[in-house]
Amino acid sequence: MNSSLAVAALILFVSSMLVLPLIPAFLELRLKSDASPLKVVQQHAGEIRHFANSFRTYIQVLEPTLQQCVASGATASGMLPDGVEYLALGQCDDSQTLPIQQPGAICPVTIAAGSDLVVPPETTFLRDVYAGGRFRGGDNNSYRAILGEKDVHLGRSSRVTRWVHAVGEFSAEHDCKLSGRISSDSCIRLQGACNFLRLNAPQIETGHVMPGENSTRPHSEDNANAGSGTVQRFLYDGDFEVHANEVVTGNIVARGKLHIGSGASIRGSVKSVSDMVLGAGVSVQGSLISGEQMLVGPDCAVNGPIIAERVLHISAGTRCGSFQHPTTVSAPRIEVEEGVVVFGTLWAREHGEVVASP
Amino acid sequence: MTSRKELETRPPQVRSDGPHPALPSWSHAMIYVLYFIVFLICIYTARHYWFTLNRLFAFQRHPYIDIDTASWPLVTVLVAAHNEEKVISNILSALMTVRYPEGQMLVIPVNDRSTDGTRAIIDEFVERFPGRIQPFHRAGGKGGKAAALKDAMELVKTEVILIFDADYIPGAGLIKQLVAPFFDPEVGGVMGRVVPLNVGTNLLTRLLDLERTGGYQVDQQARMNLRLVPQHGGTVAGVRLSALREIGGWNDQSLTEDTDLTYRLLLHGWKTVYQNRSECYEEVPETWPVRIKQIMRWAKGHNQAMVTYGLRLLLGRHRATLRERIDGALLLGVYAMAPVTLLGWALALAVFFQGVTPLHGVIALFSLTAYAALGNLAAFFEIAAAARLDGTRKRICLLPFLILGFAVSIFSVSRAALSQISDLVTGAELHWDKTERFRKVL
Repeated sequence: MNSSLAVAALILFVSSMLVLPLIPAFLELRLKSDASPLKVVQQHAGEIRHFANSFRTYIQVLEPTLQQCVASGATASGMLPDGVEYLALGQCDDSQTLPIQQPGAICPVTIAAGSDLVVPPETTFLRDVYAGGRFRGGDNNSYRAILGEKDVHLGRSSRVTRWVHAVGEFSAEHDCKLSGRISSDSCIRLQGACNFLRLNAPQIETGHVMPGENSTRPHSEDNANAGSGTVQRFLYDGDFEVHANEVVTGNIVARGKLHIGSGASIRGSVKSVSDMVLGAGVSVQGSLISGEQMLVGPDCAVNGPIIAERVLHISAGTRCGSFQHPTTVSAPRIEVEEGVVVFGTLWAREHGEVVASP
Repeated sequence: MTSRKELETRPPQVRSDGPHPALPSWSHAMIYVLYFIVFLICIYTARHYWFTLNRLFAFQRHPYIDIDTASWPLVTVLVAAHNEEKVISNILSALMTVRYPEGQMLVIPVNDRSTDGTRAIIDEFVERFPGRIQPFHRAGGKGGKAAALKDAMELVKTEVILIFDADYIPGAGLIKQLVAPFFDPEVGGVMGRVVPLNVGTNLLTRLLDLERTGGYQVDQQARMNLRLVPQHGGTVAGVRLSALREIGGWNDQSLTEDTDLTYRLLLHGWKTVYQNRSECYEEVPETWPVRIKQIMRWAKGHNQAMVTYGLRLLLGRHRATLRERIDGALLLGVYAMAPVTLLGWALALAVFFQGVTPLHGVIALFSLTAYAALGNLAAFFEIAAAARLDGTRKRICLLPFLILGFAVSIFSVSRAALSQISDLVTGAELHWDKTERFRKVL
């Protein structure tokens, strides 16, 4: 091989080595296989009832069948447009006609009841359940999703994997595991040892709440809009303590830990970059934000959102928000003692649990 | 012909033992400057890797994103518009359909001396949605977005203010998401994520899409995670009125009012937070001249902020933490790094042709070839990681083309820096250039 040929071969080889990594780039530029804008959620806005609303639309095709079943007291079965098998029930006691023979059985079809529905215990429902009236589930059941047009009640140790929406009240007995979204247009009541992730209702109660406690909230006339008016801000670079029974008008920001003594009243919002501890009977007109852990003592009243970036513990007797000013309580891990009321959203990103008050 | 004896006695041509005593003093100076530049680039490289690894493996902070139920405060949405007839109706339509309690939101289109059909379009919307839009038509006064926003503040009565440029299209839940952080009394500013809409138009838009992905998905979120200094972007953003008043309002002397706002808030003890899931579509430049103009304006504004706040941030007495001071200073220096990298490149070549290899072994090789010559490759890793986090796959193939975008940016930003120095010497005033829009008129 002569030298000029060798040089040409070398140039060709080096050029091809340079171009080789660019081939996928040129191909993608020409083919535009991944050139659409990143999907941005424009419409549903993270609405907790999104799946329930979609399911209601999905089973609308069954409405005439359900009306016939209710009128005739009969049951019907068939396929939904997407090929999913359904069973339409006309009467409350029709649950005995479910394709379940013994405890521990699995129900593989979508259940749609035109009126009240009572389902037996120890059953796993692989498909969504619709109740045109009240829904009452037995103990130790597992559900994928439930939509109830009236009250929904889950028996002890039940499990939900995706969502439940009750137009009426939602209640769960002890030891239920509620993954996904649980919502009600009226009220959610969870008994002790229930696990949860995302709850939303005008009123959420854990355990037994003393009647009449809702009206004893301090500053209930105050607006919870922390951002709606200009108030003075107190900024502290280290740890800070609000003494017991002290009244502070303004927002408090502590760059360290923050302790609010029992009976103190904050007419503003409170933030601590580190841990925050509220004593008993503290009232906060605005929001509570902690960059780490937060302990809300017994019988506190907080109007605005409560956010902890790590762990949140809420003690018995505490009220978060009000009917007039619903709010959000959120943290990756939340422990709520029995006897707490939250008006609005209670959202544990990783794990939420109702615990007994000491 | 050179004799063998002469060759044996001739000193070696390439030295690898650092600055040689035989070299002239200016060569020494050159080598030390080069060391310093390589050191700076290494810091930025480490920073990029730190951010990327944090984003990939560490705890992600989204503290306010779950606030979906609250007594939502009154909010004013300012829409900055200067000759925006191509896009203004899109954003106003979108804002009229967002989910925010009725009567709690007022939209103020800030029509800044428009000479096209912007005013007519705004007035038509005012008629269609009575009480929900209050126009602010500005016929004269100082140019620039900051000056226009400053004048529009006379109409603002609410504690929470959101700001959008006219080419943005907010989704239904975006207003609540951007308002939510203001329940935190430490928060003075909020920034959402910008997502290009016209990605597939050409190579430039695809490269800008990748750059934005890296900048928001990794850079901004990592700063949020690490409690550093997320940057206020001046659009898809919010500011607290009391914080704005405390820092002296909008600075109409600044070319980038967003950067200026970020640092003034920081120096006064207010936090700017970033909401990665508060995404909003924008239009990116579709031609290189428009892109160059845009990045030159950003560079000038950023450098202006660096000169104004850099030393004060690092050494002054204020409420920023040590990590905020360091990150803030590095953030201020990002556009200054372009001319510095070019200088490093030139110095590396000069030193090489002098026959000197100033550093030893592998470090010398990496520093001088990869960093000083090509710039900071960690940014490419960051962008690739960001695209992966977004769940996109094929667009990562375009990564090699980013060299092109990088080359254009480095020269444009350096040109901006030089022109800024020249303006400083001649006393010329900085002037604000509006970014051209490409959307078709509806």
